Amino acid sequence: MPKVDITVDGRPISVEEGSYVLQAAEALGIDIPTLCFFKYVKPYAACRICVVEARDRRGRTRIVTACNYPASEGIEILTRTPRVVAARRLNLEMLMSRCASMPVLNDLAAKLGIEKPRWGTGTDTCILCGLCVRVCDEIVGAQAIGFASRGAARYVTTPFEVDSEACILCGACAALCPTGHIRMEEAGGREVVHSEITLGPNAAIAVPFRQAVPNAPRIDPEFCVHFRTGGCKVCAAVCPKECISHDDADRTEEFGVGTVVLATGYADLDPAPLKQYGYGRLPNVITSMEFERMNNAAGSTGGRILTERGEEPRTIAILHCIGSRDEDHHPYCSRVCCMYALKFAHLVKEKTSAEVYQLYIDMRAFGKGYEEFFHRILGEGVNVIRGKAAEVVRAGEDCEEGTLLVRCEDTLISKFREIPVDMVVLCTALEAHGDAKEVARRFGISVGADGWFIERHPKLGPVSTTTDGVFLAGGCQSPKDIPDAVAQGSGAAAQAMSLMTRGEVEMDGAYAVIDEEICSGCRLCNDLCPYGAIGFVAERKVSSVNPALCKACGTCAAGCPSGAIRALHFADEQIFAEIEGILS
Amino acid sequence: MQPISSPAELAELRSGIIAARDPNHIWVQLCAGTGCLACGCEPVAAAFRQHIHDQGLEGVVHLKLTGCHGFCERGPLVVIQPQGVFYQRITPEDVGAIVEQTVKHGRVVTKLLYRDPASKTRVEKAEEIPFYKKQVRLVLRSNGLLDPTSLDDYIALGGYAALAKALTMTPEGIVDEVKRSKLRGRGGGGFPTGLKWETCRRAKGEPKYVICNADEGDPGAFMDRSVLEGNPHSVIEGMIIGAYAIGSHEGYVYVRHEYPLAVKHLSIALGQAREAGLLGSDILGSGFGFDIGVSRGGGAFVCGESTALMASLEGKVGEPRAKYVHTVEHGLWDKPSNLNNVETWANIPLIVEHGADWFASIGTEGSKGTKVFALTGKISNTGLVEVPMGITLREILHDIGGGVPGRKKFKAVQTGGPSGGTLIVETRDARIVHSLEEAGEIAPGETVTSLLDLPVDFDELTKAGSMMGSGGMIVMDQDSCMVDVARYFIHFLIEESCGKCLPCREGLRKLHEILERITKGQGEPEDIATLQEIADTLIDTSLCQLGGSAPNPVLSTLRYFRDEYDAHIREKRCPAGVCKDLVGYAVTEACVGDAKCAKVCPTGAISGGPRSLQVIDQAKCIQCDACYQVCTFDAIARVKRDRAEEVQAAAKAAWRPVKERGRAEARA
Amino acid sequence: MIEPTSSLPARVDQIVASYQARPTALIMVLQEIQQEYSYLPREAIERVGERMDLALSQIYGVATFYKAFSLEPRGRHLVSVCTGTACHVRNSKSILERLERDLQVERGHTSADREVTLETVNCVGACALGPVVLIDGKHYGHLTVGEVEKLIAVIRPCACGKQN
Repeated sequence: MPKVDITVDGRPISVEEGSYVLQAAEALGIDIPTLCFFKYVKPYAACRICVVEARDRRGRTRIVTACNYPASEGIEILTRTPRVVAARRLNLEMLMSRCASMPVLNDLAAKLGIEKPRWGTGTDTCILCGLCVRVCDEIVGAQAIGFASRGAARYVTTPFEVDSEACILCGACAALCPTGHIRMEEAGGREVVHSEITLGPNAAIAVPFRQAVPNAPRIDPEFCVHFRTGGCKVCAAVCPKECISHDDADRTEEFGVGTVVLATGYADLDPAPLKQYGYGRLPNVITSMEFERMNNAAGSTGGRILTERGEEPRTIAILHCIGSRDEDHHPYCSRVCCMYALKFAHLVKEKTSAEVYQLYIDMRAFGKGYEEFFHRILGEGVNVIRGKAAEVVRAGEDCEEGTLLVRCEDTLISKFREIPVDMVVLCTALEAHGDAKEVARRFGISVGADGWFIERHPKLGPVSTTTDGVFLAGGCQSPKDIPDAVAQGSGAAAQAMSLMTRGEVEMDGAYAVIDEEICSGCRLCNDLCPYGAIGFVAERKVSSVNPALCKACGTCAAGCPSGAIRALHFADEQIFAEIEGILS
Repeated sequence: MQPISSPAELAELRSGIIAARDPNHIWVQLCAGTGCLACGCEPVAAAFRQHIHDQGLEGVVHLKLTGCHGFCERGPLVVIQPQGVFYQRITPEDVGAIVEQTVKHGRVVTKLLYRDPASKTRVEKAEEIPFYKKQVRLVLRSNGLLDPTSLDDYIALGGYAALAKALTMTPEGIVDEVKRSKLRGRGGGGFPTGLKWETCRRAKGEPKYVICNADEGDPGAFMDRSVLEGNPHSVIEGMIIGAYAIGSHEGYVYVRHEYPLAVKHLSIALGQAREAGLLGSDILGSGFGFDIGVSRGGGAFVCGESTALMASLEGKVGEPRAKYVHTVEHGLWDKPSNLNNVETWANIPLIVEHGADWFASIGTEGSKGTKVFALTGKISNTGLVEVPMGITLREILHDIGGGVPGRKKFKAVQTGGPSGGTLIVETRDARIVHSLEEAGEIAPGETVTSLLDLPVDFDELTKAGSMMGSGGMIVMDQDSCMVDVARYFIHFLIEESCGKCLPCREGLRKLHEILERITKGQGEPEDIATLQEIADTLIDTSLCQLGGSAPNPVLSTLRYFRDEYDAHIREKRCPAGVCKDLVGYAVTEACVGDAKCAKVCPTGAISGGPRSLQVIDQAKCIQCDACYQVCTFDAIARVKRDRAEEVQAAAKAAWRPVKERGRAEARA
Repeated sequence: MIEPTSSLPARVDQIVASYQARPTALIMVLQEIQQEYSYLPREAIERVGERMDLALSQIYGVATFYKAFSLEPRGRHLVSVCTGTACHVRNSKSILERLERDLQVERGHTSADREVTLETVNCVGACALGPVVLIDGKHYGHLTVGEVEKLIAVIRPCACGKQN
C-alpha cells in the first residue's frame, strides 16, 4: 500500500493509504473516544462517538467516523472542533437516556464534560455496540448470538431467546462486553470453556502459574477457541514478536545418549480413601501440598492462611504420618513430614495468631540443625501431642472453639483427647509413582516392593543402578528431603560425567552370545534378560545380545530351550574345568 | 417460441405482429393496475367478458387488461380503441351499455365520460382531460396501451428496438450517449446516471452487477410499482442496455414483497425475454450474455439505501454500511455494482432509441426529461402523473391535480417521503410569512413569491430548501396538523430504522418522544431548540441516508409552520384539530339535526334527537373523529378541548330548526 | 392460507431445494414458508438453517428484522390498515384506533381467539382510495370512522357489538 500524508489536529503523519484515521490518531497519541471499536474485528461504525471532522483537499469538511474513514492524500482530520464535541455529547446523552448508569458511559460522559445527562438515565444495560455479536462471528466463528428486530427495538440475543447450541461457551462475548450485560452461566451440565478472553489465569493461553518453568504462556488446546472453531488467533495477532504458532503439535523425538539420570520424583498419597480424616468430605481438611500452595505468595490466597470461608483459622491441627508408618498403606517412614510439619507450625505462628497442634508418632529430627529447630518450635508455643490422630469429625453446632474435632490418644498422658480446630493439615505419605515399574523395566533397573527404584548397592552404590550408565537421583529412589536429594543428584551427575568424559565404555570380557544357527527365534530370552540386553533381529528371525548391556548373569543361557546361548568364558567345559581344578 | 437471433428478425417479428392485427377489431383497454383492482376492476372485466361472449363478439372485440393509466381517482378506467373513448368510474352494470353502444355501434355513453369541473362539459378523449393534457408521458407512454403479460404487445409498440440499436453501438458509445442526455437518477438523489455507469465500467473487479432498485418504500409513492406492473419489459430492456454498456452479465431486480403483482408481471416478462433470446447467453445474436434475477424484499424501508439493499440481496439483514467506499466499486459481494431505480432504467431505452439530443430537449438546463409523480393526499385528482422537468408546482397541483377538494384550504405539499420530508407551501399565506419572519428566514415585510411557482427540477427545488425526492407528492389541506405530520414521519422511521447506528436509533426515539409530548400539549418552549439540536446531530453523524435525512420532516415543518408548533406548546392548541389530546368536538349552529353523528358515535356521546340540535357529552367523547367525518354540513367543529362546552353553549343559543332557518334567511 | 399437505420438514426441504439452497435466497425461502404457514414456525427456521448451512442467529436476525415475517401464528383474518402518508392525511389513524377498540386487538397483534390479526402497512399503493383497509387482501377504500362497523361485520359476523 502506498503511503499518504495526512494531518490529525494539525500534526502531520504518513500512513498507509486506506488505513483508518483512528489508527493514525492512535499513533500520534491523540485520543478519540469510541464505544464499538475493537482492533481485531472489522470496524462497525455504529456508536458514532468516534466522529471527527475531515477536510479534503478542496476544503470541504464533513463529519466522518474515525474508526472506518480511510486515509487519503492531504486530508486534515480535526478531532476536537465544537461541531465534533457537540455531536459526541448529544449522541452519548441520547444513549444514556436509554441505558442504566454504568461506568463505561459515566466515564465517557466525564471525559466529554457532561456533568449530568439532560434526559437522565434509563434501565437498559446493553449499549448495542455489537462487539459481542462481531467477536462471536468474526473471531470465534460460532455465530451463536446476533441482533434481532430493528430500530429502537433492536437487541442482542441467541436465536429464539434460548440457550444456543452453537455457543461454545468460550466467553469471548462476555469478556468484550463493556457493560457486563452478557454474563456466563453454567448451563445444563455444559462446561464453560473459559470465563475470560484476556490473558488471565483462566484463559486458554496463560502462564500456568506465576513461578512456572518455563515461565512462558502456553495454549491449552482443550479450551482454545481456535482448536474448536478454527477461528480466533487473536493471541497471534497481538504478539509483537510473532511467537505464537497454532500449528505446533506434540511429537516424539528419538536421540541416542550414553548416560541417563533418572529423577522422576515421588507422588503424594491421596488421603481421600483414609475416610477417618474426612479429606474431600469435610471443609478445611487439606493436604500438606495444598497448605504449601496456600502459603505461597503466588498461590490462591496470595500467601494468607485462610479457611474456605475466607477467615483466619483460630486453631490448626497438623496430623503426621498419614499413610506412612501404617501397615495398611506404607510401612516406611516418609522422612520429610516431621520437619515440614514443624515449618508449617512456624509459618502459622508467624502469619496468624492461631493455636497449632502437632499430632505425631515419633518426632524424627535427624538432620543437621533439625533438633534445634524442633526445640525452637516448642519455644514458640506449639502444642505437640504424641499420638496418631484417630479421626477428624465435624464439630457440633454448639462448639465454639472450632468447626472440626480431631480425636486422638495422647500417649504421653494416656488420655483420649478431642481437639476442636478450624483447619486440619494432613502430612500425606510420599509414595512411588504408579508407573515406576514400567519405567524401571524400560531402563533395565530394579524396583522394590513399595515402588522405589533400587540402587546397585545400598551402601557402596547409592546412585548407580544395575544397568551401566543409568543413575538415580532424588525421590524416585526413596523419600528424602531437599539436602539429600541435592546431594544424590550431584553424585549422579558426577558419575554420569565421569563416563561421558571418558567417551568410551570399558566392557567386561564376559557376556552372552547366541548361536544363530541354533536359535529358534522364540524370544523367550528377550523377556528373561533383566538388563534388556537381548533384542530380536526381525530380518534374520533370531535374537541377539547387546554385549555392552549384558552383565553375563547367565539367566538367558539357563533359560534357552534350544541351548543356543552361551556365556563367554562360562562355557560348560570351562566351568567343569574350574570345578575339576578346585577338586584336584 | 424460437429465440430471435438478430435485430432483423426482431423487426420482422414486429411487422408480423402488427400485420396480423385487424385494424377493424375493437380493443377494450381496461386498467388493471393495483389502484383500479382495489376499486373493483375485476368484476368489470368479468362483465366485459360475459357481454362479449353473450353478444358473440369474440374474435372481433378484445379485452385487454393493461397497466395503470394513472388517473386512479376515477378508476376503474376503460378506453375503447380505436376510437379512444375514455370512460371512468365504471361499474359492472355500466358494461352492458358500453358494449351495446360504443363497441357495437360506435356511439358514446355520455354519462360515463369524464366531466371537466371547470368547464362543466363531458370530455370524450383522455388527452382532452385536464389531468392528462399537461402531462408528457414518456416512461408511462405505453402503460395504458399494452397488456403487461404480452411480449407481442411490447414489441408491436417498438419494444426492444432500442436494445437492437444499442447492440450495434460500442459500450463506451452508450455510456457517452447517456452522459450527453444528462439523465439524473430518479430515485431522489439526482446523481448523473451516465457518470455512475462510467465509474462502474472503469471500476476494477469482475463480475460486475447491475441492480434495479424497486424497493419503493416511501409511503404514498407508487411510480415504480406502476411501471413494473404495467410495462416490465421497458425496465428489462433498460437493464440489458445498461449491462452491455457497463460490462455486466448478471443483474438483479430488488422488488418490495408488498408488490405481488409487480413481481408476477416482472417474472412473466423475464421468462418471455429469456425464451425470445432477449436475455441469456447470446442476446439477439450479438454474443453478449446477460440475465436478470428477481429478489423480493422482506419489507424494510431501509433497504432503499443502496448498501442495505445489497446486503439484503445477499440474504442478510438490511443493515447499511459506511459508504466511504462507493458501491460502484465495492457493492454486491464486494464487486462493482451499478444501482439505478425503476424509472431511471425505464428511461434508458427512450434515450438510446431517440438519442441524447431528443431527451435533452425536454426539461430544464440541469434536469432533463420527465419525472413521474404519485399525486396523493388532499387533491381532487389522485393518480400517477408524468410531467416534463421545469413545470411549476402550481400546474401540477391545480391544472393536473384539480386542486384541493371540498371547500378546504391548501396548506402544503410534501415530496420525497420520509427522507425527502420536504414541504412546499403557498408562501403568500400570511401565517406562513409570519412564521418565516419569526424564524428569521426572511426580513419583516419582505415580499415572497409563492413556492408554488417554482419550476420543478432537481436544482430549483434544492435551492428552495426542498428536494425532488423519488416522486411521492402528498398534498395537505387545512385539516392536516404539521406537528402531527412531523411526528407521523418520525414514527414511521423509528419502525424502519435498522437500529445499527446510535444517532438514528436513539435520535429518532428522542425526536418522537418530544413531538409526541408536543402533540399531547405537554411541550416546553425549549423543545424547539432541542429538536433542532438533535436534528443537526442526526444529519451530521448518521451512518446512512435514512438517518441523515430523517430530521427533514421536522426541520421543514419547523421552518414553515413554526406558528403551529407554538400553538401546541404555548397555547396547548392544535390549529388543525388533529391532535386528539388537545381537541374537543362541538356541534355548531350549522347542525341540521339529521343525527347522523349520533348514529356513528361509538360511545353514545351524542344526543339531541331528530330535527333538533345535537349535543356532544364531553365526558363521554373519545375524540374518535367519527362525527366530524360523517357530517355533511360541517356542523361539527374541532376546537381547543376546553372550549368545546363554550362553543356548544353558543350554538344552543343561536340554533334554529332548519325550517325556520330557511325563512329567516329568506327574510334576510 | 394453504393447509400444508406434506410434513413441515419435507415442505421446507422442497422450498430450499427450489432455490438450490443458495444462502442468498434466504429471504425468499422464508417468504415462501411464511406464505404457506402464515408464520415462520421455529421448526422450519431450524430446518432451513440445517439445509442451507446458515447460522441460526443469522436466520433469526433476518426473520425478526423484516416486517414480512412473523414468528407468531397469525389470525384467520388479516386486517391491514394502510398508514401511508396519503392515508394518514386522510385520517387513517382514527380508523385504526376504532378497529383496535372494536376488535379489541392492538396493532401488530393477533386476537386471543386467533380470529384476527391487526397490522399496519406502509402504503399499499391505493392512495386514491385512502384511507384504505385490507381484509384478507380485499380493499376497502374511502373509509370513514363510521364505516368501521361494516368492516367488523365482515370479520366477526356475530361479534360486532351492535346487532343489525
